Amino acid sequence: MVSGIHARCALLGLLLASLCQSAMAHHGWSGNSAGDIELTGVVESGVSLAGPHGTMQIRDAEGQLWDITLAPGPRTHRAGLKENTIPVGATVTVHGQRNADEERHEAKVRRVIWDGTEFNVYPSR
Amino acid sequence: MYEAMLWLEGSALAESLRGLGVWSYGIINLLHILGIGTLFGAVLILDLRLLGTWSSITVATIARPTVPLAACGFVVAVCSGVSMFSINATEYHGNPFFYIKLPTLLVALINIGVVMRMAAWRRAVVGEATQPGDRRALAVAGSVSLLLWLVVLSCGRMIGYW
Repeated sequence: MVSGIHARCALLGLLLASLCQSAMAHHGWSGNSAGDIELTGVVESGVSLAGPHGTMQIRDAEGQLWDITLAPGPRTHRAGLKENTIPVGATVTVHGQRNADEERHEAKVRRVIWDGTEFNVYPSR
Repeated sequence: MYEAMLWLEGSALAESLRGLGVWSYGIINLLHILGIGTLFGAVLILDLRLLGTWSSITVATIARPTVPLAACGFVVAVCSGVSMFSINATEYHGNPFFYIKLPTLLVALINIGVVMRMAAWRRAVVGEATQPGDRRALAVAGSVSLLLWLVVLSCGRMIGYW
């Protein structure tokens, strides 16, 4: 009886673990799988490091506003990109991956270039 | 709903949290996990007991530590949850997991109110002799509670993956 309960607990644990694994696969970059993108634009709202990821907004030459997702706050900060590093109105170039949803103008970026300085928020990617 | 999110995002609470530095979100997130761990751990033990596990331990004995622990965990989870939500509230607009989580949380709280009024629970928690049907009633209460909290927990975790 006792071993039966243990076996069922183990099975439930395995099931939960496998659910978590499939969920983890969705984390990170898989939502931004619409291919590599390089964008140049003018900073409209500066870097914010308050949320789960750093963010900024830039407007490209066609006038399209892009939501830029950076690394998590501490990581972006460590890459040298702080909240007041790049002034609003500056022109920046970002390299990253566009959101899989073509309707959304959002890109998760690994590199931000401003005034000859590179901020590699995801250097290994 | 979107207006409420906008208001919260612009509130003094959100503003001051944003100014706390790059680690603040991570720390609030940590507190949220701590709250959830305390709450769900306590709920799991109590509900499994109501379902008939560890029947050699009385419900009264198990309820003594688990009920206040769950309440403390809940308070920590709500405070940290509201804080995290406020930082970028409008981001959650249209997130189905968020829209399932909140009403289910409400139902889970109502369920607590209902269980506390159940005669079977009242007898069990003071250690009075059980009456016919008590065990079954408590088992139903335990399974409903466990199911609701599992939905809240799962939806909460999945919000970030939407």
